[in-house]
Amino acid sequence: MRQQTTAPIDQIKGWILAKHENRTDVAADEDLIDNRLVDSLSFVEFVFLIQELSGVEIDMDTLDIGDVRTLAAIQKRFLAG
Amino acid sequence: MTTALIDTSERLRDVLNRLSSMSVEDYYNPYQVFDWPDSLPQEMWWMSPELTTTHGTEIAAELSQEQLYRLSKYESVNFYSLNVHGIRELLIEVTRRIHTDEFATPSEFFHHFIGEENEHMWFFAQFCLRYGGKIYKQPRGGAETIPPSKAASLLVFARILIFEELVDHFNSRMALDERLDDTIRKINRIHHQDESRHIAFGRELVRILFEGFREQATPEELSQVSDYLGRYMTYSFESLFSPQVYRDAGIPNPFEVRRRLLTGPRRPEFEAQVFRKTHSFLTRYGLIQAPMAAPESAR
Ligand SMILES: [Fe+2]
Ligand SMILES: [Fe+2]
Repeated sequence: MRQQTTAPIDQIKGWILAKHENRTDVAADEDLIDNRLVDSLSFVEFVFLIQELSGVEIDMDTLDIGDVRTLAAIQKRFLAG
Repeated sequence: MTTALIDTSERLRDVLNRLSSMSVEDYYNPYQVFDWPDSLPQEMWWMSPELTTTHGTEIAAELSQEQLYRLSKYESVNFYSLNVHGIRELLIEVTRRIHTDEFATPSEFFHHFIGEENEHMWFFAQFCLRYGGKIYKQPRGGAETIPPSKAASLLVFARILIFEELVDHFNSRMALDERLDDTIRKINRIHHQDESRHIAFGRELVRILFEGFREQATPEELSQVSDYLGRYMTYSFESLFSPQVYRDAGIPNPFEVRRRLLTGPRRPEFEAQVFRKTHSFLTRYGLIQAPMAAPESAR
């Protein structure tokens, strides 16, 4: 399943690409929600994956949706350092 | 178009009249009907073990009886929390439609429906807060997924029906399960009683809305509806598997546990049991065209 060698952000990208067979890449600044790469039915899985890979707990009541809108934002908020 | 179908269906009118009278006759005061003991016994099942997400899996085999009881407690609190969130969503949608031209005919029944759901939400929230100390949160967000636009009401009522049937699978079993505390059985029994009316109504309305939609829809739109409903069922089923629950039950690596359960050998069987009636209803009338959709966790 997940390989140790794959960076977390690439695992998130891989998860997105697996759901969208017509895509070959996702740009770091591409809006995942506006571009319908993450929809209401895949959002839960998406949030769980970010939590698992980052070890950061996400409280839905305080989550700033801007922090998960792009791969760059996810990297900065959850995966940096 | 659909309005005409709703207004002219004699069968729907009969169902609405019958269900509305039943609502009046069966009416109870939810604020008086429960005793709410200060606490419930910890050393027993809170949810029928067969209905817990780890039942019959290698994960359950690693847990002590005490841990299994504890897990069943948090699983039950998650289940009632899902009810709270699901009811909020359906109240918003039904309230949006009551006494509009399109839904004039079912509006009388909508009053019962809205009133009863408000009360269900109250007793489920009470249970969570009293015995679990919290209502589990549900991640919500992402792009809206409702194709095509003229199917909006159809999909709203189909979603409500799927959700109510999923819940009823659990309620109807737990209501009769003598391994459970009386308070737990009662909450499930009372909800099951009201939901049998809601489900009977939902099936009639969804059938009619789909009839109207199908007359105008392209094959592509029909398959979009089918895909959406399949994905919605998968999503609803997977929401029973909560990493927060596994963590609260003291199980390490909760995200990994969730993934193992969702990709494990028991999942398809459990999912088929939960949606047996729903799936056969939706395929019989052509809303769903294929076998069960691929799991969201594996897409
Ligand atoms: Fe309900
Ligand atoms: Fe209901």
